[in-house]
Amino acid sequence: MSDWFERSYRSSLAAEGLSGSWIWDEASAKEGGMRPHWRKTAAAIEELGQQGLRQRWEEAERLIEQNGVTYNVYGDQRGTDRPWPLDPIPFVVDAAEWRTVEAAIVQRARLLDAILGDLYGPRRLLRDRLLPPSLVLGNPHLLRACHGIRPPGGAFLHIYSADLARSPDGQWWVLADRTQGPSGAGYALENRMVTSRVMPEVLAEAAVRPLAGFFQTFRDSLARLAPRNRDNPRIVLLTPGPYNETYFEHSYLARHLGFTLVEGGDLTVRDRHVYVKTLGGLLPVDVIARRQDDNFCDPLELREDSMLGVPGLVHAVRAGNVTVANALGTGLTETSAMCAFLPGLCRAMFGEELKMPSVATWWCGQELPFAAVREQIGRLVIKPAVPSHGVTPVFGERLGSMERESLLARIKQAPGKYVAQELVNLSTAPVWTGRGLAPRRLVMRVYAVFTGDTYAVMPGALTRVSSSMDSFVVSVQAGGGSKDTWVLPDGPLSDYVPQRPPAPAVVSRATFALPSRVADTLFWLGRYCERIDSAVRLSRAILEGGIEETASRSGARLAVALGALRGLKYLRPAGPEATPSSPEEIEAALLGVIHDTSRRGGIAWMVGQLRRLAWLLRERISEDSWRVLYGLSLRFQESGDDSAIPVAGSLDLLAETILSLSAFSGLAMESMTRGAGWRFLDMGRRIERGLQVCQVLRFGLREAGNDEAGAVEALLAVAESSMTYRSRYLASLQTGLMLDLLLLDETNPRSVAFQLERLGEHVAVLPLLTIDAPEHPERSTLGALTLSLRSVRVEELARGPLDSLPELDRLLDALIHGLGDLALSLSRGYLSHATPARLVATA
Amino acid sequence: MRTAVLDTRHVTTYEYGEPALRSQNILRVAPRETRWQRAIRSRVDVDPTPEGVGTHRDYFGNETHSFEINEPHARLVISASNSVELREPVLPDPAATAPWETVRGRCFPCQGPDAFEAAEYLYDSRRVTRGGRFGEYARTSFPAGRAVFDAALDLNRRIHREFQYDPGSTEVDTPVEDALRTRSGVCQDFAHVMIACLRSMGIPARYVSGYLRSNPKFVGVEASHAWVSFYCPDTGWIDLDPTNDVAPSLGHVTLAWGRDYADVPPVKGVTLGGGEQKISVGVGVTEREQPCE
Repeated sequence: MSDWFERSYRSSLAAEGLSGSWIWDEASAKEGGMRPHWRKTAAAIEELGQQGLRQRWEEAERLIEQNGVTYNVYGDQRGTDRPWPLDPIPFVVDAAEWRTVEAAIVQRARLLDAILGDLYGPRRLLRDRLLPPSLVLGNPHLLRACHGIRPPGGAFLHIYSADLARSPDGQWWVLADRTQGPSGAGYALENRMVTSRVMPEVLAEAAVRPLAGFFQTFRDSLARLAPRNRDNPRIVLLTPGPYNETYFEHSYLARHLGFTLVEGGDLTVRDRHVYVKTLGGLLPVDVIARRQDDNFCDPLELREDSMLGVPGLVHAVRAGNVTVANALGTGLTETSAMCAFLPGLCRAMFGEELKMPSVATWWCGQELPFAAVREQIGRLVIKPAVPSHGVTPVFGERLGSMERESLLARIKQAPGKYVAQELVNLSTAPVWTGRGLAPRRLVMRVYAVFTGDTYAVMPGALTRVSSSMDSFVVSVQAGGGSKDTWVLPDGPLSDYVPQRPPAPAVVSRATFALPSRVADTLFWLGRYCERIDSAVRLSRAILEGGIEETASRSGARLAVALGALRGLKYLRPAGPEATPSSPEEIEAALLGVIHDTSRRGGIAWMVGQLRRLAWLLRERISEDSWRVLYGLSLRFQESGDDSAIPVAGSLDLLAETILSLSAFSGLAMESMTRGAGWRFLDMGRRIERGLQVCQVLRFGLREAGNDEAGAVEALLAVAESSMTYRSRYLASLQTGLMLDLLLLDETNPRSVAFQLERLGEHVAVLPLLTIDAPEHPERSTLGALTLSLRSVRVEELARGPLDSLPELDRLLDALIHGLGDLALSLSRGYLSHATPARLVATA
Repeated sequence: MRTAVLDTRHVTTYEYGEPALRSQNILRVAPRETRWQRAIRSRVDVDPTPEGVGTHRDYFGNETHSFEINEPHARLVISASNSVELREPVLPDPAATAPWETVRGRCFPCQGPDAFEAAEYLYDSRRVTRGGRFGEYARTSFPAGRAVFDAALDLNRRIHREFQYDPGSTEVDTPVEDALRTRSGVCQDFAHVMIACLRSMGIPARYVSGYLRSNPKFVGVEASHAWVSFYCPDTGWIDLDPTNDVAPSLGHVTLAWGRDYADVPPVKGVTLGGGEQKISVGVGVTEREQPCE
């Protein structure tokens, strides 16, 4: 089986008609045979055999799924994420070639940084006419509010990336520059993690340069640029949020680099200093690594229509109190039209030739280039001159002559808004199709970080491949894949292992430095879990065994459950649902409550909320927990689409809901650290469970009539306490004993007393927010509630007819109000930072 | 030379439906020094007492005040009191200014710092896009070879005549295209239309925010006002007020300028919480009997 790699790839190259020389293949040499630097890798993969490779790759896919390595697809309404596509065959680059790439990338990073320094400073490039003024002054990515700000350390670009492509003659070209918050380095790291786990011997055989040092350098470089606390700065990674296409990467990098992942709403500016809003109060922030577009970073001084930003951030940066990396305003150099001017700028600013050319670029805003575009539009790609969302490039070769003319006419209206670029005939490399090898086109994204005086290039890259040979669009968004990029060392590998500084020996335990937004979301996640659980049990009490059967066997059971559903406002107060009498009416009302996703407050709707909250917590809850809630929401979506669900199907769904919720809470109990996040999740559950028990008792008993045993049985079932009751009191069903079990029994995990005790434990460790408060308001609220529970006597509560128990009503009212107050005071004291509503107003 | 001393008072009141937890604001309400305007006094008062107060000169050279309020508050009152001395501008003979076609070429490559700065105001900005219908509308005022000031005065007059002053027709964020299409709006819209027209012809034009002295002949006196300034080679910037068809003289107090309204709102704020908010603005401008000095 030796050399199947080469044979298989050669035959598929030939099948694609690629064995000639009109395209550059990365692995296979023109004159036949593998390129020398691919030989070791190919041999090591051959060693695995095709079957072995297949197995390893199934393992890799499992790993990717388990780790939740995902990316989001734009415009995907379901908010679902796709597993990250990684090809098992690495992309191998030899040492000599890498040296050329490295030198070119360092030069380009320095050049773009110098251009930014000039354009946000003296603007000699405009005065000396090296750049046309309209490209800068008419550019929406020039942030005038940031003009004149000298970033700490003098660098605008802290991390830079470029997309490179190779033409048939072997020359690398720069396709695009990423200068704001380049994405993909985290995926490159994750790719390496996966290949090193599933193909360790292949990686070792090829002796590939490691990536870890690069990320260490990035972290150190950011820490050095902190205006203060350089020994231990607080660095946050600012993400636009879970709906961003590369959110996974943001959370992955934040974890890897030890940064706190924040959204704009988690930060606040006070007197020109930036803080992160946590449960423990405001904590100062020294460095913001930014993955948010700069125009949207501050609604006060930049675009006011952004609710994602941090009001006042520009002012804090200007005052030198926080470092933002990359600096605000660096989006300017992503202007593709600038490529046309870089050779001249490089000569003028550095006295050097540009080491790697940009793909040939003509900016239509100038007469001669526009004339050139007109001549050869058939072989060019027309793109917006400045980065703009939602504008797709137009391929000239795909246009008929009429379409070409109308495009040229459109360009003529506003020529400065367009560039034309040559189409590079991208090189190919082998990918694994599951059955064999096939060529795909590739683009390599390389990264460089600022080191204090120059740039260090990551010895690796995020290589992306097209989905088919017909496709020139190489992106994961467009269905392509990715490859781990293996850069071979110049000498012995050990030379490249960076000297890691000793890791700080500070052990970080759970603290209250949790963003308030996250605590708020967890709190509501807990509340919705319990609310759904209660609604499900009430519905089940009615549907189980058939409505007619329930009605005939125990009128009380039906009345109690319906009364509670009505009291809790699941049933509409007017119309047929107000007093459903026939079994058909009851069934119709219940099925609406259960399945109708558009019914606000109904079970399906609440499950949707639960999933939304869980989605917002993706980096906080385990992958398994997410999968449980996600799977549940899918089941409700399916059943919501189905117009006629039989009662039996609904009962299955209800049973599944209860199982999913208990699986989720079990996972939370077992896998979440007992930090602030878990406490707020649990407090949400406890408060809601206590409230639900009280409300079901209050609304249910009123409707019970005089069938004591039936009512008691129904209430015990809904409160999941029938078994406990039976084991204690054998057969006799009495109101007093039931109330004791559901309200006062501190050993019953479903009782109100039990919830209060757990809440007491949580409240005891909450941080004190104001120094002058003698104690937590939550403690006194809880104290009063516990006291009122302990001082009642069950006999008095249960004295009288079921529909008129004044002592019980008083107690339930006190408990419901007290628990409501507790929730309110928790959100005022600890979660109010999470208030998202923002208003921008001008007058 | 005629002069005037004007006292201005500009009060902005925000009332919130429910207490605002926090607010952060940037103001551009201090008078600017110009060739024809000197600031005598400038004062800003904020209630409740603000924190984090700072001043900063923005990109366009306007003085800004910023502050924050970190306590819950049901209303916020910002009062700016200024006194300025105005001199009557000395303007060139409109017919003797440069032909409009030459203006663009004289901004860039720059001839002197003034022209370099003027290039800033040639291109599209957030609220103002050149070309299209603006070019068509402007062309009537810009026949070949016409002196630029003469042409701009004609455009100023046409907007005044052909557009309806109608405070109900537009909002603060109405796109400038709508104002041109409906031929109606308020001072801000007229200024944006005129800027779009001038830039479409290659004339640098900027947006001026300020106040107007009480005058029965003028509209736009009860609130803050806005007009236009265009770049005239050899002379510099010349102001024109299309809302009132005048070249501003002793009745216009200049606060700030930028490429369009988005660069220079007099009061801009971000509020956390607050529910529904109601904004009311009052501006009073009075002339002193005795010129001081």
